[in-house]
This record gives sequence, structure tokens and C-alpha cells, in this order.
Amino acid sequence: MSTDVTPHTPAQLVRLVAGREISTRIRDKGFLIGSAVLIVLILGMLVFQVAINSGSDETKIGVVGGSAAVTQALRTQGDALDTDVQVVAYDDEAAARTAVEDGDVDGALLSPSGDQPELLVEKDGGQTGTLVQNAVQGMSITAQLADADVQLTDPPTVDVVSLDPDADADLEATIVALVSVFVLYSLLILFGNFVAQGVVEEKSSRVVELLLATMKPWQLLAGKVLGLGLLGLAQMLVIAVVGVAGALTFDVVDLPGRLIGTVATVVAWFVLGYAFYASVFGAAASLVSRQEDLASVTTPASLLLIVGFVVAVPAAQDPGGTLATVTSFIPGLSPLVMPVRQAAGAAEWWEVGLAVVLMLVSIGVILRIGGRIYAGALLRTGGKVKLREALAAER
Amino acid sequence: MLEFDGLYKAYGSNQVLEGVGFSVAPGQMFGFCGSNGAGKTTTMRIAMGLARADAGEVRWSGHLVDETVRRRIGYMPEERGLYPKMKVGEQLTYFARLHGMDAAPAARAAESWAERLGLGERRGDRVEKLSLGNQQRVQLAAALVSEPDVLILDEPFSGLDPVGVDSLAEALLEQCRRGVPVVFSSHQLDLVERLCDAVGILARGKIVASGTVDELRRTAVGRQLRVVAPDAPPGWAASVPGVRVVSEQRGDVVLELGAGADDQQVLAAALGTGRVSHFAWREPTLVELFRDAVTDTREVAA
Repeated sequence: MSTDVTPHTPAQLVRLVAGREISTRIRDKGFLIGSAVLIVLILGMLVFQVAINSGSDETKIGVVGGSAAVTQALRTQGDALDTDVQVVAYDDEAAARTAVEDGDVDGALLSPSGDQPELLVEKDGGQTGTLVQNAVQGMSITAQLADADVQLTDPPTVDVVSLDPDADADLEATIVALVSVFVLYSLLILFGNFVAQGVVEEKSSRVVELLLATMKPWQLLAGKVLGLGLLGLAQMLVIAVVGVAGALTFDVVDLPGRLIGTVATVVAWFVLGYAFYASVFGAAASLVSRQEDLASVTTPASLLLIVGFVVAVPAAQDPGGTLATVTSFIPGLSPLVMPVRQAAGAAEWWEVGLAVVLMLVSIGVILRIGGRIYAGALLRTGGKVKLREALAAER
Repeated sequence: MLEFDGLYKAYGSNQVLEGVGFSVAPGQMFGFCGSNGAGKTTTMRIAMGLARADAGEVRWSGHLVDETVRRRIGYMPEERGLYPKMKVGEQLTYFARLHGMDAAPAARAAESWAERLGLGERRGDRVEKLSLGNQQRVQLAAALVSEPDVLILDEPFSGLDPVGVDSLAEALLEQCRRGVPVVFSSHQLDLVERLCDAVGILARGKIVASGTVDELRRTAVGRQLRVVAPDAPPGWAASVPGVRVVSEQRGDVVLELGAGADDQQVLAAALGTGRVSHFAWREPTLVELFRDAVTDTREVAA
């Protein structure tokens, strides 16, 4: 009758539902505040890292009457003590003294090549004292040997053979993976509950009857899961980009390539984990009609998520252990455990492949069963619908 | 033609519908009456695909009502349902789009319907902030916003004040004038009598009476005659053959005439008592027809 109307394809309906979910949620104050808090949390962790790392990074030494040789000697000693030495030249003792008092330098070395070198420090020498002492001694010995006309052959260099050259990098990647898995876990809980709340909202407000007069239950569920999933993925990506960019800017990590690889892996696992948990939460939520009853049906799924996170933490320490290995294959737990093992370099490619396949198969099964539960329970308002009733009910 | 044909539905051992059938012509307003739990809501939900009939089908213009047809039906469920946290305008636009409209026409339709139902100023408000009466209007707007070809409304008048009833009635009549068949269920029989071209009375899972109100009156069992003869002695009418006195109060009697009874004989008897100030066939109200129809089946079933 009306010319403005065109028939919908299922994909268009799913898109409409997804669009509503996104536009409603993105204007929700709670959601925006939560997202901001998560990003601030990540940035805070980075700043904290920078703060504890910065202490030993650099030693500034003021020198009065120095030379290239002095600077070189100080730098060499700095390398031995694992600190970057920066040498600042001062014209006279007074200037150097002021610099020490103002805290511009950690210490000031006076007449390093003279008979009585002096190191000015604020309170006590500490590491700076040792460093300067060794440097001055080294220079003195070289000078004396040269005076005595002793020719030294180069001392042999010790060849360091590393048995596990990646150990440090693995540790770093594992820490990155743990942080990422924490974010993944938080987002899965958050968006799983969004899906559940959305389902119950439609049921409790009975708007679902109007919706189902225009579409099939699976289209409604798919649109909801997809819309919120895109939003969750976007949030995950924002956090990933902010985290990686922050880590690179503050120079917190040594191997940016592995950092990005680990974060990308976690994002991929988020997609699988979300598909799994969103379907479970959505189907479970359809069994109740009130927000108050929601916890009683979503608890099993939430518990599974918590178990996954609890296992992921020890898995970081022992990525090859039985617990970590077994749980990294179990659908539902694998999105939280496998990325940690992957980051630690403890998972073979076929192990990852198997875990992904198992996850995909279980998502398929859950979508089928969950979709049936959802369709069967959606129009039954009132008390809690029993699982068996929902499965047996046909519209 | 919107046809409900032989609908059966049982919930467990509870047989709710036992062959419900009626049809509504384009532009006809059909009042769907029945006692509580008679199965009105179930019948409407079957039409909307929200419940599945055990047998029977619903057709529109000869086609089985499926998803595509349903998108052209405006529906108002018995349990009102809207997104409480969504703004009125956005909500109406969303429903218009779900019914197949494109974004721009949907937004225009939402705006014009909000305006027509007196919600113009509330378009930016969340539904939960509105009074119940206004929420009801939004619900109606949600059913009308896509300019549907058919309207199925479950208890649309319940909870409305008299002004609201009038504006809703006007909106529905306007839809009928557009050629839309309108089916609505209601307990307010006076309203049904006033608005509807046709009525269907549902009792014990079947349509026990249907047709125009006049048709129902004609088929009503037992015709009643009201005679007012102020000077008549009590019991004057009982002697006329084939007449049963239904009620008698100071010369004002209601009589039921059997098959062989002659109303002229009654008039003669009345005139014999003196002055007659009122003599007329009594039109049973829909309430009475309804009561008769519902009790009849009980007797049959018993």
C-alpha cells in the first residue's frame, strides 16, 4: 500500500538490530565512563612501569676539567653497572657544586686526571661513587702502565653462550599477554552482561512481542550479539592501540614486534571468546524475565570465565605445565589461557590450531542450542523458564 | 479479506481454541469479544506468529500470513511493550524501519505520527518518563507508523481515559476509511457496539456468534417486548398465550414471546387494561447478546 516500504532480507534486519544496540549503548553514560576508566587504567599501568624503571636508567655526572678519555672511562664503567652515563662538563667547581645541590647531576667529579680527584655528591656516593672510583682507578692504571712502557696485549673476550636467549623476551611477552588477557577477561564479562541485560530488558518490557512480529528470534539474537560485539571489538582495539602506542612512546618494552604480535593474538582470541560467551549469556538470559533474576542463570558462564582467568595467571609462570596445556584446549577457557602460552612461546602452531577449531565447533553447537533455548523461552514471561521446557517449546 | 480459518490451539491439556474462524473485510472494524481466558489473545498471537496453531491458518488477501505479510500488519500486544530507555521519536523510527521503511521515510512517518497522536513535544523524551496514557499513545503510534495494511490490536482501549478513547477511536476509524481491516479485542462492549461494523463473540474456544450487531440481534433467541400500561393490574399479561413475563414493575413489563405468540394480541390485552404509554420491541444491547451467547454454549457444553 505504501510506496516507502521495501521487504527486508534477514541480513538487513540483523543490521537494524545491531545498529540500535550500538547507537543506544554508545550514548549510555555507564558504558562511556567504564570505557574511560579502563583506558585510564592501562595508561596508569604504563606510567607506573616508567616510574619504577626510570630510577636506575641514567646517571648524570658533572665533570670539571674532563677530557674525552674521562668521558669514555665513565661510560665504560656505566655499561658494567648497567646504567647510561651522561657526562656534563662544568667550567669550575662552584658551577658543579650548584648543579649537585640542585640535583641536576648525581655527582660532580673534580680534576679527574689530577693527583687528588674529588667527587661531590649530595649525601653519599652509592652507585655513582663506585662508578667514578672504578673509572678513575682504571684511567690511573692505564696511565701508569703507559708510563712504565708496558705493552698490553688485548685481554681475551669471554664468549657468552646463552642457553635460552629468548628468556627475557618471553618473560616480557608473557607479562604483556597477562595484561592483555586481563583486559580480554574484563571485556568478556562486561559485554557478556550487556548481551544478557539487553535480552532481559526486551523480555521484561515485553517489547520482544513487537519485535518478534517482524523478525525471527535468531535474527534478534544475532543482531544484538553482533552489534555489541562490534562495540566490544572497537573498545578492545582502542585499548590495544592506546596500550601499544603508550608502551612504545614510554619505551617500556624491548621488543615492539613481539608486543604487537601478542596483542594481536589476544584481540583475535577476544573475537572467539566473545562469540562463545555472548551466545551463552544471551541464551541463559532468555530464561528469566527480570534483571534481578539474571545472576541466577548467568553465574555458570561467569564462573567459567573466572576459572579461565584464574588458570591464566599460573599458566604465565608455567606455560608448559599440565594445567596450562590442558586448559588451553578447553573451549571457553582457551581464549584466556592459550594467548598466555602463545606469548611465552610454549604453544606449537598445531596446538593453537586445534584450540581454535575446538572453539569454533563449540561456538557452532552453542549457537544452535542457545538459539533454540532463546526462541523457546523468549515469549514465556513470568517466572524462570526451565531449560528443558525452553528446548522443547516451539513457537 | 483477513480470514481466520479453523484455528486450534492447546497448551498442554488445556484446549484454548477449538476451530476459531471469522473474516474481516477491508475497511471493516471488527470487535473481538469474549470472556477472560476465552482465547482472544491466543488467536491474535497466532496471527502475529507469536504462537503456533495446532491446526488452521490465517490468510490475508488469500495468502497465508507469513513474515512478509506480517511486516504489513500493525500490531498492539495485550502486554504493552516498548524500550523504556529509548526516546519516543527514535523508537517509532526504529519500528517503522523494522516494518520495512527506509531511514528517511521512517523518520518522517515517526514525526508525523507523534504529532497526530499529540506526542509532538514528547518526541525527545524517554518512554519511561511518559505517563501511562502517553505510553499507550506511543504504543499505538508504533502500530500505525508503518502505514500498515492490516491492524490487529489486543485491548487497545484498556487503561485510556474517555478523551483517550475518543482519539483512539477516531484514529482507528480513519484507518478503516483508508480501507484497512481493523480487528480489536475489548471488554468494553458499549464501545464495540458503537464503533464496530462486525462483532465476533468467542466463548469456549469457538466463535459462538458473529456478524453485524443487527444480525446478532435478529438471531438472538427469544424476542422481548416492553409494554408500559400504568393502570394495568399486576399479572395482566400472563394470560396471553405464548407469553412469558420476564420482569414486571408497576405496570412496566418486559415480555418474552414464544413461537406462536402474537404481539397484536398482547397490545389488545394491554389496551384492555387502560392507557398504554409504551409498546415496543426491545433491542437487546451487545452486553445482553454477549451474555446470552456465552451462557448458551455453557448449556450446550454441560
